[in-house]
Amino acid sequence: MPLTGNSKSDALESLRKQLGRQIKSGSEFLQEREQKTIRLVTGLDGLNAALGGGLPSGQLTEIIGRGPSRGGGVIMAALLARARSEGRYVMLLDIGAGFSIGSFPERDLESLLWVGCDSATQAVEALDVATRDENFPLFLLDGRDCEPSDWKSVRTQQWYRILNQLRQREAVAVLFARSEVTSATKHRLELVSRLALDDLHQERETILSRARFQPVQRVTEDREEQLRVG
Amino acid sequence: MRTKEGQVGGHTLSGYAVVWCRDFRLQAVKRRSGRGVPAALVDDTQRQSIVLCCNTLAARSGVGPGIPTVQALARCPQLQVDRPSPAAELAAGRMLLETALGWVPGIEETGPGILTLDLATQAPAQWQESASHLHDRLAALGLEVVVGLGETPALARLAAQAALHGEVDVWHLRREERLEKLDQLPLIVAETGAGLNEKLRLWGLQTLGAFSRLRREEVAARLGDEGVELWLRLTGRIRRPLRLAKLEQLFEAHHDFDYEVSEREPLLFVVQRFLEQLAGRVAQTGRAATAVHFLLTFADGACHAKRLPLPEPTLDPGLLFRLVSGHLEAFEMKAAVVALRLRFEPSDPVASQKTLFGAGLKNRHHYEETLKRLRKIVGSDRIGSPRPIDSHRPGLFEKVPLPAELSDGDSDESGPPVTGSTLRRYPLGFRTSVQLRDGVPLRVESSRVSGIVIASAGPWKSGGDWWHEGQQWERSEWDVELLNHGVFRLVETGREWLLEGYYD
Repeated sequence: MPLTGNSKSDALESLRKQLGRQIKSGSEFLQEREQKTIRLVTGLDGLNAALGGGLPSGQLTEIIGRGPSRGGGVIMAALLARARSEGRYVMLLDIGAGFSIGSFPERDLESLLWVGCDSATQAVEALDVATRDENFPLFLLDGRDCEPSDWKSVRTQQWYRILNQLRQREAVAVLFARSEVTSATKHRLELVSRLALDDLHQERETILSRARFQPVQRVTEDREEQLRVG
Repeated sequence: MRTKEGQVGGHTLSGYAVVWCRDFRLQAVKRRSGRGVPAALVDDTQRQSIVLCCNTLAARSGVGPGIPTVQALARCPQLQVDRPSPAAELAAGRMLLETALGWVPGIEETGPGILTLDLATQAPAQWQESASHLHDRLAALGLEVVVGLGETPALARLAAQAALHGEVDVWHLRREERLEKLDQLPLIVAETGAGLNEKLRLWGLQTLGAFSRLRREEVAARLGDEGVELWLRLTGRIRRPLRLAKLEQLFEAHHDFDYEVSEREPLLFVVQRFLEQLAGRVAQTGRAATAVHFLLTFADGACHAKRLPLPEPTLDPGLLFRLVSGHLEAFEMKAAVVALRLRFEPSDPVASQKTLFGAGLKNRHHYEETLKRLRKIVGSDRIGSPRPIDSHRPGLFEKVPLPAELSDGDSDESGPPVTGSTLRRYPLGFRTSVQLRDGVPLRVESSRVSGIVIASAGPWKSGGDWWHEGQQWERSEWDVELLNHGVFRLVETGREWLLEGYYD
């Protein structure tokens, strides 16, 4: 039987109510997915707290230190030590090959595969290949010496492909940089603490406990374009 | 299946099996068809065609080796006649050997369709069952065989002959019941000459058991070397080493193209087919491939050979194909290809157990592929697991392969606490102008960073390699904190100041 004007609107209203109970809104869905995300506990209280429990798997996290001596290297060493203690392999894509072996305990190097890269483009290309490999649950991309303009030749699609591969493998990638790099990053933290000369004699645990993180607003694609240009 | 066993007794320390494929040349040709019908192979290269061999059904109709083919067809009108096929014999021989390799590794190809297996690697209690299993597997592949088991190769062969004559599948001649078993065997089973057989028959000896009860001296005095050789064989006193088949030459596939191939696709098509075939054949032996040998022959007579090693033994056709196709794609063909040869290097499958609490690479093959691709991107000298080297020269490290397994990480945490932040090096350093006051850096200027020194520590002097001419080095390091910039490492080499890196 065909519906009349009133009964049609009533039926639509009733249908909306029923659907409303079953279908979540976009924000609810995203919030739920965020809560369900598996996280790689880093052993660093400040970092864990800032990221909601740890490094989210299947995601690229940017850790920004806007200049030398912000503590990015110490964070990297701590992630490496944690991974080693848990029997996980780590791949370090070192842009500029500034890796200093004396800064890392020898026992932590056993699980590390170092890849020296000449440029940001080359490192991202290598990351694109490496994230297809299920042997590595953690990738560290060290771009601390890169200028913001160095990233401009990396295509946005490549970042999203890497993200997709990370999701498939439930792996984690951490990008250490001097400024925001890509809009593909959902989690971005800035290191706001600064090391002093006296810290060279402190235990690393003490230095890590003083590291301070501050969430950085997500970069939109327009902003990313500005970053590329400027 | 029919089995004739001896009584169960004590274990022998050594044992052999002889796998005998009756009418091997005929079976090789008729393996896939013609079973259950009288069949014969004929030689029609001479003026008169004659029968070379025939199966039991044909023999029952009066067909036998040496008779003219016309006569054979007259006696048995249903007789299926074929010519010998060396290619079919080769294929059947390989199949026989490959299947037998699933039982033991030490195998001699004693003759066409005859294998002698050294059973030393298997417990005697399992011989009988393994022999039956091999018989059944070969029967499923279209080869009818019998298996003889004995304490020496000669006795195993005798047992196989006994099985052929007795029409049983497996015949086990055990040491403790040898005489009783030999009493059941006619002289013909021993494959001796007709003259010796006739002589023994005239003596009234009907069985091999009766002959082996004679004293050696009497046999030697009356029958000479031939008699002694038979006596030694029957009493298990002749032991010879086996000439073991080489597995390397076994798992090979070869194709001569009818035309010159200059594209990769047809090659890859053949490669894929070969890989699947070879993988299936190796799998039957319970082994895996550790490397693939790849040989291309070109129209100009040149060859390209390459051994493609695998990180660990595998038979995954997809993985093997990626290995070969990856090499083929990277290789520049300067002429058309006329022949392709692929060979598997077989090995026992890896029997490794992960450490109880440790971890390892989930997929070594995938890891090796990733490495290969990364090397193409960054260069082969820029990838590896870093390790310090035995030198005081700062910054040097060697790159070693990533260990396939990691030990339990927690057990290693007994070292001293780690101190200080990490150093990030500028690989070439930045030439720096340093203003000093009382020998202490006061201000630093470089293309990378410039600033006032608010705190410093040093100098830390080091040197080395003075014992190598021209390689001597000396340096003084300073750690300096620059106002609003961070903590840096400065190095004075005697000739210049360098900004070596920063602490981070």
